[in-house]
Amino acid sequence: MTGTALQNKAKPLLDGTLQLEVTSVSAQTDSITSITFGGALGELLPSYVPGSHLVVQYGTGANAYSLTGSGSAPTEYSISVLRIENGAGGSLAMHALCVGDLVQVSHPRSAFAPAATASHHLLIAAGIGITPVLSHARYAAEWGASASLIYVHRPGTGAHVAEARQLLGPGLTECLDRSSFQEVLTRQLTTQQLGTHLYVCGPNAFMDSVLKQARDLGWPKSLLHSEAFSGAALDDGEPFEVRLARSKVTLNVPAGVSLLGTLENAGLTVPNMCRKGICGECAVPVLRGEPLHRDLYLTDQEKDDNTTMMCCVSRSLGQELELDL
Amino acid sequence: MRTASQSPATGAGCEPGFRGVICVSFATTDALQDHDTGGMPRHDLRFAAATPEAIANLRSVLGHSRVGVRVVLAGPPADVHAAASVAAECGLVDEEMTLVCDEVGPRVIFCGHCHTSTTTDHPIGTNVDCQGCGTTLIFTDHFSRRVGGYLGFSAHAEEAA
Amino acid sequence: MSTVINEAVRDADVLPERIKHFPFPFSGDIYRYSANVEPSRKEVSTEAGAWGGRLLHIDEHYLAELKDRDEVLERDPSRLQVLPHMRPAVWDAICTLLPALAEEYPDTVSFTREGDLCRWRNSLQNLDVEFTVGDDSSLPMGPLRFLGSQIQDDLVFLDHRQDALWLDAGVVTFAADWSVGFDVGMKFLEVHHPVPRVKEEKIVSRAEQFLMRLQPGEQYRRTNWTLTIDRRLDTSTETYPNWAHDRMTIADDPALPDRLHLRVEIQHMIRLPHSGAVLFMIRSYLLPLRDIARVPVWRQNMGRVLAELPDDMAEYKGIIHYRKAASDWLLSA
Repeated sequence: MTGTALQNKAKPLLDGTLQLEVTSVSAQTDSITSITFGGALGELLPSYVPGSHLVVQYGTGANAYSLTGSGSAPTEYSISVLRIENGAGGSLAMHALCVGDLVQVSHPRSAFAPAATASHHLLIAAGIGITPVLSHARYAAEWGASASLIYVHRPGTGAHVAEARQLLGPGLTECLDRSSFQEVLTRQLTTQQLGTHLYVCGPNAFMDSVLKQARDLGWPKSLLHSEAFSGAALDDGEPFEVRLARSKVTLNVPAGVSLLGTLENAGLTVPNMCRKGICGECAVPVLRGEPLHRDLYLTDQEKDDNTTMMCCVSRSLGQELELDL
Repeated sequence: MRTASQSPATGAGCEPGFRGVICVSFATTDALQDHDTGGMPRHDLRFAAATPEAIANLRSVLGHSRVGVRVVLAGPPADVHAAASVAAECGLVDEEMTLVCDEVGPRVIFCGHCHTSTTTDHPIGTNVDCQGCGTTLIFTDHFSRRVGGYLGFSAHAEEAA
Repeated sequence: MSTVINEAVRDADVLPERIKHFPFPFSGDIYRYSANVEPSRKEVSTEAGAWGGRLLHIDEHYLAELKDRDEVLERDPSRLQVLPHMRPAVWDAICTLLPALAEEYPDTVSFTREGDLCRWRNSLQNLDVEFTVGDDSSLPMGPLRFLGSQIQDDLVFLDHRQDALWLDAGVVTFAADWSVGFDVGMKFLEVHHPVPRVKEEKIVSRAEQFLMRLQPGEQYRRTNWTLTIDRRLDTSTETYPNWAHDRMTIADDPALPDRLHLRVEIQHMIRLPHSGAVLFMIRSYLLPLRDIARVPVWRQNMGRVLAELPDDMAEYKGIIHYRKAASDWLLSA
């Protein structure tokens, strides 16, 4: 088996995508299913950074899912998906996959990486938020890095519990209700050695609460890492006008319709992939106005510069934006 | 707010799990006398200089501290930079450290040829003799936080026969 | 007119490899700093031949340059730096670059991997080694020194954290007037602090933003250049007292066309797939002015670039005392 990390052997269909086969499907819980993808010949797939996600295409849509392996020279990519009955349809499509089905996926993309300098990795997950931190825990185990995990799940509904117990041993604290979690969290946030990095993944309100408590207890921003897990819907936003300088047209972007959707409806082609502000494909140049950045792709500095925006999720703070399109 | 004054060159250990503000003063600086800790508990350390003993003491205090702590370092640049380098090694990031350097006072010059550090009162842009290899170094403003000093390189190498 | 062209073509046919594959960096008569980044592995045609079809390039200096690197490291181990948190990145580079070299030179080297056990064969060095990914003791000289003994490029590792890149490891034996021993542990912007003009022009911060955006699998490159007296690859800060004096005497040396070399760095930038570190590879090529002058367009371009270059840039590149002599020779030849 020859490893080629720079050029992947799995056959790319479109630029930047791989066609893989479903190699296994297994139920983790009543509502969470693990799905594994591999190349047709079982060949080595590109390695990935722990905490990376894969954008999986289904029908006309695409969803980002966290990879649960360590990312070291994998022959398979594994994701675990929570079924959401009234979501956009991605989770139902994933749950309908069978062994042998072919899927198109992106290359793994990293947006929730472990800090190499961390003296300790404090992982915090709620529910399906276990998936990217499981990847972190595996990586820490492979390199002998110090890690612990607080995992909040309701009895009988936690995915990957056995693996978490095996990987972390006494470093795992399972919390089966909110009040016990709060007690554990407060204690852990106030007793970490210097250089500890905190990683949190779960529902938005859960992450916001953990991050706010950490900041209130003096945690600097650069030690805090969070991963918005799929399914978290952004609000509809306010309507605004967008002026396209080169096309010399002005379009209305109504509440509930994305800027990307508006541009596409007007006949423009904007490269895009995840449509969730993660992949960075749909960047558009801003000439005037102040974008309301809602993506997870641009750095803070780039957001402050206000010269680029991700048109799939970001909107306008003012009534008008001008783009170089 | 200020805790009892420390005798020079000692830094009594603070309570384990400290998450307040560690104020470290070198030499004779009084820059932190009225430092506002924003209501957080304060622990003072005073050292004559960033000697190996002082650095070991600082390491021990940081080892007993917990995330949430802030460190303020004041005094001559050479000492503040040495302490900041150690604090970074202990895991502190920029947001957790405040450096209050004296405007004048000794700085460390790192010899780009033999890698010996020489401490000097000379200002940036002047020459200093390396204590390691004896080369006359021109002392630039290129600074390394890890070394805690400025790069120096041979001032006369181009003319040398 | 047609005679001149024919002579030039005939000359190009008999040019030696070192000229044919030389990455001549000037496309016009003026040079300024720019980010000049492009996707790698795209072959560039020059007046004399072509370069750039590969990520890694084994040329006729392979064994000599690796011997040179080994001697530099024996003399001065500070040219190899690995801050402890960069161990995974170094192993990631091994698992990325060795397979890449094997893919580009399948008749010369081979790499196989089963789980974490790897086998590397290099027929140019009569080498057949097995090692285990992540086990530093499985490569007796240590993982980074081993990797540096297989490819001619210097390697610099950048850790991505706190919205910045940090130079936290490297093996740099062929530095063009800098010191990895001093720079290790610095932020990308701090590393470039001494470069004139780039702060005002935001070039370094834009380059850093670009590098922080790199996704695994993407590869880019740029070129940089300076002049070096004699075929001296180790022009580090450490050895500056040994070579700085030549800068004052070369202008009057009748051997200038043979001693003075155009030094071109091909810098590759890749995101390592597993550690997420950015790997900055620097491959240095040296070609004497006498060889440059065998290609008429090169002679003229380089002669004019040297004449036009602003003093602050010439000063920073360390060529201010002799760039006129070099330019005069090129333009009069």
